[in-house]
Order: sequence, then structure tokens, then C-alpha cells
Amino acid sequence: MTFKKQITRMKNVFYLLFISLTFTLSSCIEIIDDIAIKNDGSGTFKYTVNLSSSKIKINSILALDSLEGRRVPSLEEIQQKVAAFKSKLEGKPGISNVTLESNYNEYIFKLKCDFTNISALQNALKEVIQEESKEKNIAELEHTWLSWDGQKMGRSVPEFTIKKTKELKQEEIDRLKEGNYTSISRFERPVEKFDNPSAVLSSNKLAVMIKTNPFVLSQNADVLENTIYLSPLKN
Amino acid sequence: MLNLKALNFSFVRSAVLFIILFVSSISFAQRSEDLIPKDAVTVFSINNFTLLQKISLDDLVKYEFMEEVQQELFDGSTSGKTMKDSGIDFDQKLNVFYGKGDEYEVSGFTFGIKNKADLFQVFDDFEQIESPYEGVEFYGSYFNNLIIKGNSALLIRVEPTMEKVDATTDSIWYARGNENPFDTYGLDEEENKEDVFEEEMPEETEIDSYNVPSLGEDPNQKNYYELRDSVQVVMQAAFLDKLCTELLIRKVNLVNYDNRFAQQLTHESEGIFYLDNSRSLQNAQGLWYFETMFPTLYEDIKELYTGNVMLGDLILHESSVEFKMEARYGPELGSIYEKMNDSKFDKHVLKYINKNNTAYFTYNVDMREAYEQAYKVIMPILTDEKNLQISTNVLTIELLNEFINKDALFNTYKGSMFGTFNGIKKIKTTKIEFSYDEETFEYIEKEVEAEEDMPIFTLGFTTDRGDIPEKVLNHLSRLTSRFKNKGNYWVYEDAILEAAPLYMLNKNGLFIFTNDEDLAVNHSDGYGAEALSRTEAKKSKKSGFMYGYIDWAKAIEKFPRDFFDERENEIIDAMRGKTGAMHLTTSETTKEKTTFELIYSFEGSYENSGKYLLDLLNSIYVMSK
Repeated sequence: MTFKKQITRMKNVFYLLFISLTFTLSSCIEIIDDIAIKNDGSGTFKYTVNLSSSKIKINSILALDSLEGRRVPSLEEIQQKVAAFKSKLEGKPGISNVTLESNYNEYIFKLKCDFTNISALQNALKEVIQEESKEKNIAELEHTWLSWDGQKMGRSVPEFTIKKTKELKQEEIDRLKEGNYTSISRFERPVEKFDNPSAVLSSNKLAVMIKTNPFVLSQNADVLENTIYLSPLKN
Repeated sequence: MLNLKALNFSFVRSAVLFIILFVSSISFAQRSEDLIPKDAVTVFSINNFTLLQKISLDDLVKYEFMEEVQQELFDGSTSGKTMKDSGIDFDQKLNVFYGKGDEYEVSGFTFGIKNKADLFQVFDDFEQIESPYEGVEFYGSYFNNLIIKGNSALLIRVEPTMEKVDATTDSIWYARGNENPFDTYGLDEEENKEDVFEEEMPEETEIDSYNVPSLGEDPNQKNYYELRDSVQVVMQAAFLDKLCTELLIRKVNLVNYDNRFAQQLTHESEGIFYLDNSRSLQNAQGLWYFETMFPTLYEDIKELYTGNVMLGDLILHESSVEFKMEARYGPELGSIYEKMNDSKFDKHVLKYINKNNTAYFTYNVDMREAYEQAYKVIMPILTDEKNLQISTNVLTIELLNEFINKDALFNTYKGSMFGTFNGIKKIKTTKIEFSYDEETFEYIEKEVEAEEDMPIFTLGFTTDRGDIPEKVLNHLSRLTSRFKNKGNYWVYEDAILEAAPLYMLNKNGLFIFTNDEDLAVNHSDGYGAEALSRTEAKKSKKSGFMYGYIDWAKAIEKFPRDFFDERENEIIDAMRGKTGAMHLTTSETTKEKTTFELIYSFEGSYENSGKYLLDLLNSIYVMSK
């Protein structure tokens, strides 16, 4: 081996060590799932993913070609995927004013769209997820996670996350526990009552919030399950 | 078409036994090494095979490095047996070899046989075939061959190089009047590229109908790939015959071909290592361009590498493993190395290495001397080349040599450096948090301070011209506010992964990069009493051009688990109990050689030396995969 090769190899080892050690470090995710429903059933859906506390880890992963035998996409490819998601959602019936803010310095992604009714929103999201997924039939997408009859709103989460988390390592579980998942439901008239004891009501009585962490959510989908009853509609 | 997967399995299956043999054998009377072909470029020879006698075959196949061969070799016939039961003669050496020449590559191992019946319990898929060589038994399994002569055996696989196979196939194909076998069938180039990209794993039917060209009407005529398979099989047999004739009839083997290897075999260490770098260079794929375009230059480069060989010894002690490696080279290359490594140790680096560092290295070279010597040795070679491109390059180099201020260049970057890994520390960073209004649950973003774990690295270079990097830094600070002069140090905000600062110290004849805030802010003149102890510093100073240290226990705790699967992490976990330290030292470099010595001293408990060695080997395998 030549000396030049020795040095090159040494430098490569240090680079790899740096990247790999960085990758082992803890990180967490924050998700805000925010839905506002008007009395007529139309509304606005906002979904925010905040990875700013994991940006070192994300940057270190993006610096790799592959991880655990799988190719790591480039930042450009991620940007293209995000743009494609937005574009597909825009084309779905009953969906309008789609915006997708992407902050690639802090890794914060904010999806926002208006919908004409709950079914339109659910169908649109299901279709886009199905189109973007390589899996042909995603059983979990059959689940109805939102319902609305003008008087009450039902929310739930499909159970697929539980299956997935069984494959996780302890360190990954710990990281999920450090994250936050916030679910907010907003209305045009006051909330009368709700089923989930973990939920809290805003002071103006127009919003209900449940806070948990991704791990708890993954283990118990019921934690977000809630039926929110609104005060009668005034004529 | 050949079943390459089966072929591969079959070889690997055979390779299993070789690994079984891996850590054993003291050979005195028997000569398994006499069956190593001279085509072997790399050989790892195990002397003390007895260490592995107690290892059960079932335990052995559980190791990661055995994964691919588990089903093939250990298909139940070895259940409940130890290596001792495998018919192998532990009094002979086990020699593992690999080599690649212009025409073919060889791989395999040689070993002694104590009980042939037991051996064939393990090699149960080999069938005896008629031997063309007197006194030699021949056995075949797929494309592997087991050759037994006396009480020694050679398990070998000979593969013609794909370049050779392709060239011969093409020659026959076109001589028969065939068209280009890779006709794109009317697709334009862009479409074709797209298909290749999309179809990473094409189905077999698609291969048959699209990728594999056919001669068309005549079913007795082979298509291109069938022809290539036939060429490969014929060549394989021809090259095996050539190798066997040389080895078994002319009695030419690596031992009598290369005296350095023969000498190395006389060492009484547990294992020896041999790598002929000069032959390895000749066969390097990257040099084909030189070989084709500049044959004279290629010959000169080969000449430069003559005598370049690596010779190593693996020695097991009660509480340490020692690996000695001797890099030998020819006089011309040696003269460059000698000049380069004849450098005074920069003691300033020692005060920047904390005594609690998990790992560090020092590297002392004199780039100026190396440059001058390389200029003397290499320029005449280049000048002799009668080629326009090379001549232009020679002129460019000569002009640069005249015009560039070499004093400024080599006093800025002298070549010596050091590096440390200082464990994991919390570093300051920022993150975005959402705060909620209790009245409405509306939320707003706010940036807050955060801490994240970060591996702490330091890399420093010796310089006599600190004013030059200072000029660069001053200029950069005018271009961006992220570069800041903090007096004793410079800081480049968000330089590392767009999140963490990088500090630069330009003091005491060193230019240092680090992400260790403590070093930059509090120890810009060194760690003082917290620096390396005198004993450790002395070891570093006394070593040749390089010294390295790793605290294994601390390093293994910080091992990047996410890079490995569950099984691999189990092995890493198994290594956690084995604390100790690794030291890499080098000798003074002469025109003939440099010696490297890696000593791993351990403190952990272990069942037996063989098991411990296998644990180590497996860890290295996992790390290098």
C-alpha cells in the first residue's frame, strides 16, 4: 500500500466515523395535525412536521449514499417528491388552496389545504398516498379516520403504526418517546363535550387539543380517538 | 447460461472449511504450503491452528463471516462436531490465498489432512474425478477443485478474468460473421438508457426476449451469452490445467517462487501475512489506461514498484494480540518514503491531545523533502516518455517547479498532522419550537437554544507560515458574517452539517480544525496538565512517522449501531465486555522498509484464545463489510 493510499484511507475512515457517530445520536420529531371544520362541513387541514431538533442527524444521513442497505435519497430528490405530493393533492376533487412550505434549513414542512367536506379530504389524502407508495394496496388506507355529521366530529388513527414499531430497536423507541404529536380540532361554534379524557379545551371553547408522543401513539392508536360534540347550531 | 449463484455458493461452501481452519496449524513435517500456487498475490497463513480445535463447527457457523456458507457446507453433516472432528491436520499450516493475473484469478486455501474419511464428511459434495497427475487425487464440486497430494490438500477455484473471456468471445463471435450482439433493436439511445435505469431487476422472460440476442433461425447456433459461457468453461479448464502443471509437475509454488514468502513462513508467530504489492499494482484495473496509452510509462511505473511487498506476523499473547507488518519496497520508491518520513516530531501537537481522548494519531512527514525526491525520481521517467500529452505535462510541472514559491508552500503545509476523537459531547445548536396560545390553541414558531450530541474531532497541521491561513480567514470573514475572529480562535458558524460551529486555531505553529468548543475557548494554548501523560507522549515521539491509539472500551460504546443489523449489533455487543487499548507504532523508514506494529492489549474475560480471536476477526469483518 502506498503512503498516499494510507492517508486517503485514514481520511476516509475519519469522515465515515464522524458521519456514523453523528448518526447514532438521539433525535426527535414534532407533528401537529390541525383540522378546522366550519359549520357547513368544509374546512382547512394543516399538517406540520418539525424535524429541527434532528437537523444534524438528517444532514448526516443525507451525506451518506446508503443506510442499512438502502439508498439515501438526495435533497433534490426529496424536494421533487414533496413538490409532486403537493401537485397531486391540488388535482384532487374538493381540495383547493394547497400550500406546502418547506424549510430545508430547519427541516420543517407545513402542508395546508382547504376542503369542501371531510370525505373529499380523506379521499384526496388516501389517493395521493396510494399513488406515491410502491405498495399496491395499503390496507390501513381503508380506515376512516375522520367523521362529521354537523353536530359531532369523530377522529381516530389506523393501527398500522403499532405493527411497524414492533420492528424498532430500543434506541429508536427512546427517540420516538422524545417527540411530540399534537392533534387539534377547531370549530366555528363552541364545543359542548368530548370523550377523550386526555383532550383539553381551549379557553374560547372553539378548539380541542390532544398532546402525546409518537411512541405512545404508535402503541395505542386510541390515544387520539375522540368524539367531539358541538353546541347546537343557532339559526 | 451458467448458474453463477450455485457456482458462488459452491465455492463459498468450500471456503467454509478453510475458515474453520482459520486459526490453526503448526507445521513441521507436513507441507501444505507447498501447494500454494505462485499466482497467489495475497496469502494469510495460520500456524497455530490448535487454538481452534475446541471450537464447535456449529458455533463457528454462527459467526457473521460464515453467514453465506452456513447452508452450503454445514447442511447437517457437521452437527455436534468440533473442528477437531473435521479430518484436518492441525500440525500443518492453513494457508488462505488469492491472486489475480492478466488472464485469470485464483482463490482458495491449502491445509493438512489427518483423516480423509472425516474430511469428506464435511466436503460431502465433492466427487472424485480422474487425475491427470501422478500421485495426486482430484475431486470436483461445481467449479471448485479439491486436490490432494500426500497428506496435504489444495482447495482452489480458478476463474478466467472477464476481460479475457469477453475479448475471446468477441473475437469468435465476429469471426463467425455475426452482428453487434448488443443491438438496441431500434431504440434510440435515450430510450435505452431509461430502460436500463428503470429495470434494475428485470424478469427472466424480459432478459430472454430483449436483452439476450439470438442468432435467429438456427437452433444449433449459440447466442452470444451461450458462446461466452462456453468460452469461460473452456478457459477455466485450460487455466486450471496450466496452474496444476506448473504446481504439480514443474513443482513451482509460491514458496520457491518468492523467497520473501518462504522466509516469512519460517516465523513462529500464530499467523503470517503476505501481499505482493508489485503484482497487485500490475493487475490494478485503474492502470489499464496507462498500460494501453503509455506502455513505456506503465513499464517504468511497474519498475518503480518492484520489490513492493507487505509481510506481516500475527502473534497472540495471553492478554494481547500483536500484528507486525513490514512494508518493503524497491530503492527508488524507498528513497521517496525515506525522505518523506525523515521528519522531526512536532512536540507542539502533544499539548493539544487530551489525556482522556478516546482515540488519536500523530503523523510526521516532510512534504518538502518528499516532493524534491519524488521530482528527482519520477521526472526522468516522465521525461523519457515520447508522447505529446506527457511532454506537455512535464513542461507544466517543470514550469510550476520554477515559478512556485516552494518555501511558502511547504512551510504552510509541512505534512505533519495529528487528529483526535474526544468522545461525544453536547454542543449548542438551535431548534424551532411551537408555542400555543391557551385561548385559541393557535401556535407560533420560535427559535430556542438546544443541545445535541456530537462526536468531537480535532485535526491539526504543522505550519511555519501561520500568516498565510490567517490571510485566507481574514478574507473569508469579509465575505460572510459566519466567519468570526474571536481573538484566540476563529469560528465558522453552522459549518458542520449546517448546524454546528467549526473552530479554527492558528497558534503555536499549528493550524487546528475542531468542533470542540472547550478546546477553542478554554485551551487554545493546549491542555496543560490535562494533556497526554509523559509516558504516552514519549511513545508517540518515539514512533516513526505514525502513531495511533484507540481506547477500545470507550470507542465500542460509541459504535454506530444504526449502520448494522441486529445480528451485527449482537457481535458488537459481545465485544463490549472486552476492554483494552490499541496502539499503532511505526519504525524509522529506510530505503528498504517501514515496519508497522499494531498491539491490542485487552482486559476482558473470554472463554479461550480461539474464541476470542474469532470474536475479533468477526468484528473486523463486520466493520469492513
